[in-house]
Amino acid sequence: MNKSFLEIKNVSFRAGGKTKVKNVSFNIEKKGDIICLLGPSGVGKTTILRTIAGLEKIKSGSIKLKDNILSSAKYHVEPENRNISLSFQENSLFPHYTVEKNIYLGAEAKKTNGKKKINPKKIIKLLNIEKILNKYPHQISAGEAQRAALARSLVTQPDLLLLDEPLSNVDQSFKEEIQVQLKKILNDLQITTIVVTHDSYEAFYLGNKCGLILDEKLKQYDDPYNVYHFPNSIEVVNFLNRGILIPAKVTGENSLENLDLGTIKGNFIKHYPKGSDVQLLLQPEDLEHDDKSNLKLEVIDRKFRGTNFIYTLKTRSNLHIPVFVHSHHVHQHEVDEKFGIKRPIYIDHIVCF
Amino acid sequence: MKFNFWYFTSLIVSLIVAIPILTIFFSFFESTTNYFEILKNTFLLEYIFNSFILLLGVLILTFILGVGSAYMVSFYNFPGVNFFKWALILSFAVPPYIYAYSLTAFFENYGTAFTILKSLFGEGDYNRSIPKFDGMLGAILSVSFSLFVYVYILTRASFYYQSQNLIELGKNLGFSKLKSFTSIILPSARPAIVAGLSLVAMETLSDFGAVSFFGINTLTTGIYNSWISFDDLAFANQLSFYLLIFIFVLFILENFSRKKARYHSPTKGGFKQKEKINLTGIKSFMIFSTCALILLFSFLFPLSQMLYWTIIFPKNFFDLNFQQLFINTMILVFLSCLTLIIFSFLSNYGNRVSRSKFLSILTTFSISGYAIPGVILAVAFITFIAWFDNTVVDFFELKSIKRIFIGSILGLVLVYFIRFYSLASNGIKSGYEKINRSIDESAYLIGYSKLKTFLNIHVPYLRNSVLLITILISLEIIRELPITLILRPFNFETFATTAYIYASQDLLEAAAVPSLFLIIIASFFILLTSKYILRDRDE
Repeated sequence: MNKSFLEIKNVSFRAGGKTKVKNVSFNIEKKGDIICLLGPSGVGKTTILRTIAGLEKIKSGSIKLKDNILSSAKYHVEPENRNISLSFQENSLFPHYTVEKNIYLGAEAKKTNGKKKINPKKIIKLLNIEKILNKYPHQISAGEAQRAALARSLVTQPDLLLLDEPLSNVDQSFKEEIQVQLKKILNDLQITTIVVTHDSYEAFYLGNKCGLILDEKLKQYDDPYNVYHFPNSIEVVNFLNRGILIPAKVTGENSLENLDLGTIKGNFIKHYPKGSDVQLLLQPEDLEHDDKSNLKLEVIDRKFRGTNFIYTLKTRSNLHIPVFVHSHHVHQHEVDEKFGIKRPIYIDHIVCF
Repeated sequence: MKFNFWYFTSLIVSLIVAIPILTIFFSFFESTTNYFEILKNTFLLEYIFNSFILLLGVLILTFILGVGSAYMVSFYNFPGVNFFKWALILSFAVPPYIYAYSLTAFFENYGTAFTILKSLFGEGDYNRSIPKFDGMLGAILSVSFSLFVYVYILTRASFYYQSQNLIELGKNLGFSKLKSFTSIILPSARPAIVAGLSLVAMETLSDFGAVSFFGINTLTTGIYNSWISFDDLAFANQLSFYLLIFIFVLFILENFSRKKARYHSPTKGGFKQKEKINLTGIKSFMIFSTCALILLFSFLFPLSQMLYWTIIFPKNFFDLNFQQLFINTMILVFLSCLTLIIFSFLSNYGNRVSRSKFLSILTTFSISGYAIPGVILAVAFITFIAWFDNTVVDFFELKSIKRIFIGSILGLVLVYFIRFYSLASNGIKSGYEKINRSIDESAYLIGYSKLKTFLNIHVPYLRNSVLLITILISLEIIRELPITLILRPFNFETFATTAYIYASQDLLEAAAVPSLFLIIIASFFILLTSKYILRDRDE
């Protein structure tokens, strides 16, 4: 059996004397994988990173890296003796050193043990921080500080890199570019990484796997595609906020019936007996627009998202259903207008609760 | 609870600082000589009354001087405003007792004022028309002109941090300038003003030099006299107990207002740099003159008076053993700074790495020393050593320790340590507060040990704080009078004690030379720190 690169087994993560996340187990299978932890603010994502880095101790379970125990109830490797780097959300650059000195300190402090050496200059260029190298942390913006701290973490060539909201202060216009570059660097250097973020799109893009922390638990740990399309609980649906749950009755092997939308066909990902009352997950891309359809719903809101519109439609029983429409669609619908939904409704994978 | 090196250090510091407080507490219940009865029936009320009047007068005057000057330099642009901004803090170089000597020297019969008038208008009976600033009035003026700086510095910082938005809000609501000042500017600076006034109050109640020079009987001089003149340590301690209650009320008030003051500090988002009002013409001249007069009365006047006497009595200058006084002062400064900074570092670093609440409480307790007047500290220290010597040392039949601690540099440094520990510890603490904990953690994560983090991250970062603390402690020790006077070794003088001794023998012209040197050295230290004291935004 292949051993996992990182193994977290039955760990309750604690900070300030309080348990933040209970009884968590997950593995990172192989070196170079990127894992994203998603969850609302204050749920304990950062605590997980701090504990893995050795800044917090654990009272139960174990954390193993490359089959070596780092933390357990009785054993604790000090942070300076783990080859793990944590890039904090807030500015953690050494205030009395320039950005350049901060970055090179990272490179000097840890020995590379014969590993392929990262060229700090390459990282600096990649993160576009050449212009601020001679500045002090208080002279740069929060976004620049975050990138500089990221550079410092990267040049230490850690066994495991932990990034706490690494791009939260980076301008939106620059964010996607950095995400691409970051993913490339991490893949090129095969740096195993755990990224904490509250931005699901960032998590879906960067992560080989995503973990959702909700209500003090790791609710789902899966591929980003599965997390989005096959959420395993109502809490996950609510957190991702990419669809709504509507009441429906199972009418056959591949169909169900909703009072407002009529018959809905598709493939159930889980079997439900005929006649069961369920909550069907309806995501914006599940319904198609059709001006000629006789199923018309009232538009109560329209959000322009550049590449698409998200219409919010009101049904007779006052459900608010989101529908995705390509932004080049010729016929735009105003609020209070009627909006046609293509029938029969077919959903590729039906998720019910 | 893990009892480690950090606990041990903090515990030692707390115990040392606790000595005077505990001694006074236990002495309160001891019987005293007959002197207590005499005093209780005659002078005690006078002591309390005088202390109260002095306090009231000084608070009113320092409020007017401190808030007024802070307002002028913070809200208006006029010729010399940047000069006055820092020049006004120079008055801190003049301790109240030296101001008192100057005041007397200038206004006394046939004093400097008389000489000036005589040289301008010829012989005449000027003594009658020259006002006399002695007694309580003299003491109030001396203490106020020396201490208003506390109110000035804190209020100015608070005014500086008041956002322009606040001023604009007043204009928007249609407030007049006066209404804006009384309804917006002043109330929002209130915590800073109260903090400044509390410091002034504590210093006023502990002032010894000026009040004893003017012959005013306050609780502090009472303590000194009961010990020196009547050899009644127990009663000195009992008086100290009353004074301490007074002081602790102020201490709590000051701490409380400081906590409140935090709410008035700027946030990144809401702060808008204040736009000063440009003054021209008569208004500009008026405000310039007011600032110039405050500077003249608070600093230039005592400086020139001391300089004048040094020049016209050059013999005193040549008689003064400047070199020895300087060496003595610097030995005290060096030893005290070294001990204070080492222990402050140890206790603050211990607090940081252990994150223990118990340790934090111990540290808070250790900083209470600054609220206790120097006279009380010195007397309580002697009481404690005497008690320890008579009980513990005698019990074990060891050699007396009195000589080691009383009338020795060690004892002096130890009591300075108690008095100024809060200054050092708070300075390092506020430096540490600016270092986010994630900085330490980042260092650990790039492989730094705790020691390496301390040496490579904390020490370089706190360098400026340490420098500032060193200078402030030096300044305090150079000016310090009662502790040095009571505990100094035989034949060991500083500028402060020399000036006091001459003045107490009515040899004011001889006191001028050490006073002048003291002002010059203290001014030099103030100029070194002005950059930090007046720092407008945190770097």
